[in-house]
Amino acid sequence: MATRVITRPPTADELMATRASETMEEMYVNMGPQHPSTHGVLRLLLKLDGEIVLDVWPYIGYLHRCHEKIGENREYIQIIPYTDRLDYLASMYNNFGYVHAVEKLAGVTPPERAEYMRVILGELQRIASHLIWLGTFGLDLGNFTIFMWCFREREMVLDLFEQVSGQRLNYSFFRIGGMPMDFPEGWIGDCKAFLEWFKPRLKEYDRLSTDNIIWQKRTQGVGVLTQEDARAYGVSGPMLRSTGIKWDLRRNDPYSIYDRFDFDIPVGERGDVWDRFWVRRREMEESIKIVEQGLRDIPPGPIMAKVPTAIKPPVGHLYSRVESPRGELGEYIVSDGSKRPYRYKVRSPAYVNLSAISAMLPGCLVADAVAVLGSIDIVLGEVDR
Amino acid sequence: MIPVPSAHHVRALDSLYAASAAWGVPWPVVELVEMLVVVSIVIGFISVAAMFLIWWERKISAHIQARYGPMRVGGWHGWAQSIADGIKLLLKEDIIPRGADRVVFILAPMVVFASALAAYVALPFGPGLIVRDLNIGILYIIAISSLTVLGIIMAGWSSNNKYATLGAMRSAAQTISYEVPLVVSLLGPIILAGSLSMTKIVEAQRHLWFIVPQLVAFLTYFTCAVAETNRLPFDIPEAESELVAGFHVEYSGMRFAIFFLAEYANMFTVCAIATTMFLGGWAGPGPEVLAPFWFLGKTFFLLFVMLWLRWSLARVRVDQLMYLGWKVLLPIAFANLVVTGVAVLVV
Amino acid sequence: MAEAAKAAHKPEAALPRMAESDGTPEAKAFLEALRAKAGDAILEARARGREVVAQVRPDRNVEVAQALYDMGLEYLNCLCGVDWIAQNQIEVVYNVSSLSHPVKVEMKVFLPRDDPRVRTVVPIWASANWHERETYDLFGVVFEEHPDLRRILLPEDWMGYPLRKDYEDERMPRFDAAEKKRRARLFSRDAEAPAEGEEK
Repeated sequence: MATRVITRPPTADELMATRASETMEEMYVNMGPQHPSTHGVLRLLLKLDGEIVLDVWPYIGYLHRCHEKIGENREYIQIIPYTDRLDYLASMYNNFGYVHAVEKLAGVTPPERAEYMRVILGELQRIASHLIWLGTFGLDLGNFTIFMWCFREREMVLDLFEQVSGQRLNYSFFRIGGMPMDFPEGWIGDCKAFLEWFKPRLKEYDRLSTDNIIWQKRTQGVGVLTQEDARAYGVSGPMLRSTGIKWDLRRNDPYSIYDRFDFDIPVGERGDVWDRFWVRRREMEESIKIVEQGLRDIPPGPIMAKVPTAIKPPVGHLYSRVESPRGELGEYIVSDGSKRPYRYKVRSPAYVNLSAISAMLPGCLVADAVAVLGSIDIVLGEVDR
Repeated sequence: MIPVPSAHHVRALDSLYAASAAWGVPWPVVELVEMLVVVSIVIGFISVAAMFLIWWERKISAHIQARYGPMRVGGWHGWAQSIADGIKLLLKEDIIPRGADRVVFILAPMVVFASALAAYVALPFGPGLIVRDLNIGILYIIAISSLTVLGIIMAGWSSNNKYATLGAMRSAAQTISYEVPLVVSLLGPIILAGSLSMTKIVEAQRHLWFIVPQLVAFLTYFTCAVAETNRLPFDIPEAESELVAGFHVEYSGMRFAIFFLAEYANMFTVCAIATTMFLGGWAGPGPEVLAPFWFLGKTFFLLFVMLWLRWSLARVRVDQLMYLGWKVLLPIAFANLVVTGVAVLVV
Repeated sequence: MAEAAKAAHKPEAALPRMAESDGTPEAKAFLEALRAKAGDAILEARARGREVVAQVRPDRNVEVAQALYDMGLEYLNCLCGVDWIAQNQIEVVYNVSSLSHPVKVEMKVFLPRDDPRVRTVVPIWASANWHERETYDLFGVVFEEHPDLRRILLPEDWMGYPLRKDYEDERMPRFDAAEKKRRARLFSRDAEAPAEGEEK
């Protein structure tokens, strides 16, 4: 059952009434759509009682680019570059989710080496995405240095991706049936070198974040999301795991070859901002493990299955999901047997996680709003599509 | 080896007064000229120090963040960056928002800077190198620097901007809250020195710097000093990523530059006070002429710590900040005061 | 119209469906339990892998949703619309799963295209709030008793429902026959490449 009554935002009359009132007790304040934190264009209408947030209504759609409608007018392979632009900070995983869905629908199995490449690149992308998150989250809390350090490591990951795909950000590197190109020479060595460099960096970040009392005081006990609320709101990813529910699609509904890898699923305790931070921080370590295992076990072989470029999946429909850095990235594709999908729906994790803000924010102080919003890890490209 | 201020430093201008009397120039004029010269020197020093501090901050923050900072302006490590920034600010358009109270808007930065400047009267740069050796030195400094709050409130209120006003209120609340433990923590060294005069306090540390018996007071004082100057981790009034903008949001160009300068001047002042009260002031080995360098060196070391803190820590939340000031630092400062008092009585 | 009415109850025959595949034993057992609970609210259902796909009567969707919730599926993954313009229907698809069950359910309702209304499932799954708003925004499906039904991705004063197949907008490029031909040639793989020197 829904645990919280869903409220309507104030009408124009209600807004004018509060503005005209003498006391400043209950007031409506806008956060955004231009926002100094690097989350994109998002507007939060807050209802405040002094310093305490009573209610919040997110207004999205500033970055809506008609992704799903475009998808209906493109062939399956032509949609891949559009998927990059959804969650542009984790492009590899968007590609992964889409390509995986189409392959399931069409009954295509990519070769072993391609699967390993996908997992390696996907997990490296998870590391890069969490690094950006950690950096910008630190920036929200006032710590500029961790932002710079995280971006330094992210640059290295981006260099690796550039060697592989030619792009730093929107890679379009996955194909239906496999991968377009193999790792260049020496890439595996570079990747291993990066991992060796990166492992002690996490300890460095700890000194600024985990072990710092100001960071702890800003995040512990703040913006709590209960397990009940998490299930009701359809929250997924690190946000769900922070509440204590051990649910990771890579383990609980395995796709690709994730069942061959040995990694832990970090879980939080209370569902507050600290737990979300901690889960993502630990996930970076687990991703390092997965990449190492992938690099160790990757077999030689072909990287592309035999599929026509203009793929025509049989008539049918399918909901397929993967665990992107932000949560459950779902793709619902309806095929009518032609070269283009009849319906192409993206269930983006940030969209659903953001809706849970109306369960987390009321009761917090205004000063915590930025910390809570930062801990959800939204990317507006994905929220708005 | 602490140089004792020798008699010839004090009223060294006696001969000048005698000469002016001989030429028929009334002494207030000479006094005025003397004051103007001294003020110019002090303002000059503040400007140079602030510019250096800004450049230094950028370099330190850069190296902490694994990058270089200014490298080009002026050649070697961008040393002229601050000068370039200053010129840029001077050339900017002077914007006064419509609906702002013009007089108050213009006066606010002046008030802030004036109170920051006035504190330099009693800072002992070296033996005899003090503008006026007031016998209420430290009390004067604390009193005068409290006037900054007035300037901040003037700035926030006159901007005709809801968020600037809220920011000014926050800043004022923070400054006033942290004044109290700051002053109480300074009472410790004052008791040990037995005087409010800055030079006498420095003299009293001839054998032992007060930081040793007054470590708790020093740490409390330093924390309050960081809060007083609105530096991270206590920089909520200036935080850009928070909901409410700072009190100086409507200021641009030279007026903003004055706020900026005043902030760095304040930083220098509080570190100078810490040096005087806890680190022995100008004391240091070597001949007397090196004394100002010891003073500046210690002050800049403390400034370095302040900059280091800014780039390493996150921001403290407003209610946590108030809690820290009133419920943690104030009791600690009082406890230190009591213990010091008892110790002085007993020993 | 009569045809459409008939089709409203048996549209699966007219609409594309995936090749039949057997369901796992859990899925089949789940399907039986669901049929027992929901009875005639379910028009057609089958097990497919670990999933149960069920087509449900539009006026009984809340009842079936509640049954699913009571059977342990507390997690709504996705709720979206599909515009079957040829059959004059709009389909609303509910993808539901559980964080402790292995079984997933895809529940579908088919609504008449000229007045697509269905009751909201927000009291059961709170995440339906934004999903239903988006379906309303892009398809025009009215979710009755929704606490806050307004547009979410598009501006509040937008006219029209863009994801419908017949959506027209004066800003959309108009393709004449020549342009359509050109685009068909460019975007299609099995057409011939243009001859040398021919203008693209």
